[in-house]
Amino acid sequence: MEERKIGVYVCNCGSNIAKMVDCDEVCAYAAQQPGVTTVKSYKYMCSNPGQEMIIADIKADGLDRVVVAACSPRMHEPTFRKALQTAGLNPYFLEMANIREQCSWVHDERNAATEKARALTLGAIRRVTYHQPLERRSVDMCPNVLVIGGGMVGMTAALELADGGSRVYLVERQNCLGGNVARVDLTAPYLDSARDMITALITRTKEHPLIEVLLNSEVNSLEGFVGNFKTVVETIWGDQAATNQYEVGNVVVATGYQEFDASRVTHYGYGKLPNVLTSFEFETMLRAGRVETKEGKSPQYVAIIHCVGSRSKEFHTYCSRVCCMTALKYAREVKSAVPDCYVSDIYVDMHAFGKGHEDFYRRGSEAKTLFLMYAKNDHPVIRKAGPKDDCEMLIEVNEKLSREVIEIPADLVILMVGMESRKDSEAVARLVNISRDKDGWFIESHPKLDPVATTTDGIYIAGACAAPKDIPDSVAQARAAAGRILARTIRGTIDIDAVFAEIDEDKCSGCRVCNELCPYSAIDFNVDKKRSNVISALCKACGACVAACPSGAITARHFTDEQIFAQIEGVLA
Amino acid sequence: MSFEPKIVGFLCNWCSYTGADLAGTSRIDYAPNVRIIRVMCCARIDPTFVLKALRDGADGVLICGCHPGDCHYSEGNYKMMRRYPLLKKLLADFGIQEARVRLEWVSASEGQRFADLVNDMTQRVRELGPSPVRMAQATDMAER
Repeated sequence: MEERKIGVYVCNCGSNIAKMVDCDEVCAYAAQQPGVTTVKSYKYMCSNPGQEMIIADIKADGLDRVVVAACSPRMHEPTFRKALQTAGLNPYFLEMANIREQCSWVHDERNAATEKARALTLGAIRRVTYHQPLERRSVDMCPNVLVIGGGMVGMTAALELADGGSRVYLVERQNCLGGNVARVDLTAPYLDSARDMITALITRTKEHPLIEVLLNSEVNSLEGFVGNFKTVVETIWGDQAATNQYEVGNVVVATGYQEFDASRVTHYGYGKLPNVLTSFEFETMLRAGRVETKEGKSPQYVAIIHCVGSRSKEFHTYCSRVCCMTALKYAREVKSAVPDCYVSDIYVDMHAFGKGHEDFYRRGSEAKTLFLMYAKNDHPVIRKAGPKDDCEMLIEVNEKLSREVIEIPADLVILMVGMESRKDSEAVARLVNISRDKDGWFIESHPKLDPVATTTDGIYIAGACAAPKDIPDSVAQARAAAGRILARTIRGTIDIDAVFAEIDEDKCSGCRVCNELCPYSAIDFNVDKKRSNVISALCKACGACVAACPSGAITARHFTDEQIFAQIEGVLA
Repeated sequence: MSFEPKIVGFLCNWCSYTGADLAGTSRIDYAPNVRIIRVMCCARIDPTFVLKALRDGADGVLICGCHPGDCHYSEGNYKMMRRYPLLKKLLADFGIQEARVRLEWVSASEGQRFADLVNDMTQRVRELGPSPVRMAQATDMAER
């Protein structure tokens, strides 16, 4: 094999890597390896000076392969590939060694971590030797977009996209638009009417010439790849069903959340005590303009209990983010409907993190609401009051701050039910091929740096389907997803990864084992030649056919046997 | 000093590799014995990769993919699952203990699970001692 000129760049990542890995030692080790001609370490390799250093070395030293030992390739592989490209080198001549997420951050012994970093770097050096130049493919980007979910987020994304010139198919399962926000009365902290906001959105959405609203509809299938998806949507009207096929380039998933089922918490008596309501049931009451008990009486005592289903070991460990401010809003709305009513707010911690929230909390506490704190897993207990009491129910709270057991009267109890992932989130995830976390929320491409993209190119998530969120955050995500899509649509074409499988016709025996294995039907059988071949545009490079081919006729580009063998040798040397 | 095994981990890009990255971002400390090799899908893992790793000095091989039903490529993990018993049989014929090669599912959100898995695997392989392949190679070298 021809002589390589490999450059090895070991990143300190500030102290993230350097603290646990002796980067100089990794450099010294790399410098001894055959083919390695340039070795450097630097504070932040991904920074502009870091990249410029690599680019300059490629040009000056005539490097033909580059190894960057730094963070996960899931983080900065695109960055360094671009740097190679800028220097005039094929971007696939890069290999990264993950010595941060999979080394310095998970070990606490410097010698062992350094040894592992050396091994990973050597694996990358050996592997990169066999890297082949690959050309990315450019495919047309269909400007149409499928938006799943007709709530606030779905409509906001649809409008933004349609205003930008994209045709949008907005699919909603219900017979009307609006989603969960349409069930809310006023919104915290500014007390704007949710109805006004949602009505304006619905009107604009319905009237927009580029938005096709598909009510009573569900997405049956989604096939293809970024820029070129085909989707089948089924619409049911009464006992009639119709299916339509649409071509779309991108998809926004905005399926939202469902509320926690309060009857799962037995000690609050929801479903048994008639005047124990969920927050959504109370919203209905507020929207009807009446705050009253089941018996039609004006309540003298109202109690609000926080964190129902949220922040608990039994149900959901996460915070649902909107309930604290909503509870304060209820205290206000109750007081304005029944001015002499006593309101108790029974909370775990008051989360007032958003813009205007702290002020809203202060105003709430000044309005003579009784605040009582309970410990996370020490729930208040509700029981029916006796005939001598002047109230419907009594709530026993082990008050955390005073360390006293306090009994609170209540005619109406509002349970602040949290958000949870929808029952069908698993089916949706499979439909569009994205992942869910342990709580069922959809997983973003990167939680901080790429929060609306997913690991499947062309599929975006926005709003509470990814985690509990309030309206401003959800709207921001809807617009972000739309912006991402428009930015790519403007170009008209999209470069897709050059990684796919290839069949060597001379080696193929025509056994057709691979034909059946391919999940994307990307392998075609040429009857005349009696040989299989891969339709590269459909191939997603899983490599299942490669490992299964009995003749070894299939190559996975960028994941070839020789590349992986070389890496195995490297990490074990 | 106790024997420290070398383990090669083949992880799928979408679930398990991301899960291993999450263990990192969550700063979950685990045994440094596993060297991870990324593949797009566990269905890409040719049995020869495992044999190659064992021949080149690995004391154990850990294969991780997405949970059944969650595969990025719909069903790659099922393909690996079906291939695995054959691989196990082959290894048994070579006299390699079952516990040295392990197939597990780790999702992108299971950083803790990945760390626990590495610790558990490391401990089990440590108890087994050096791979018989390595021992045989050492004897071979000595006889030459």
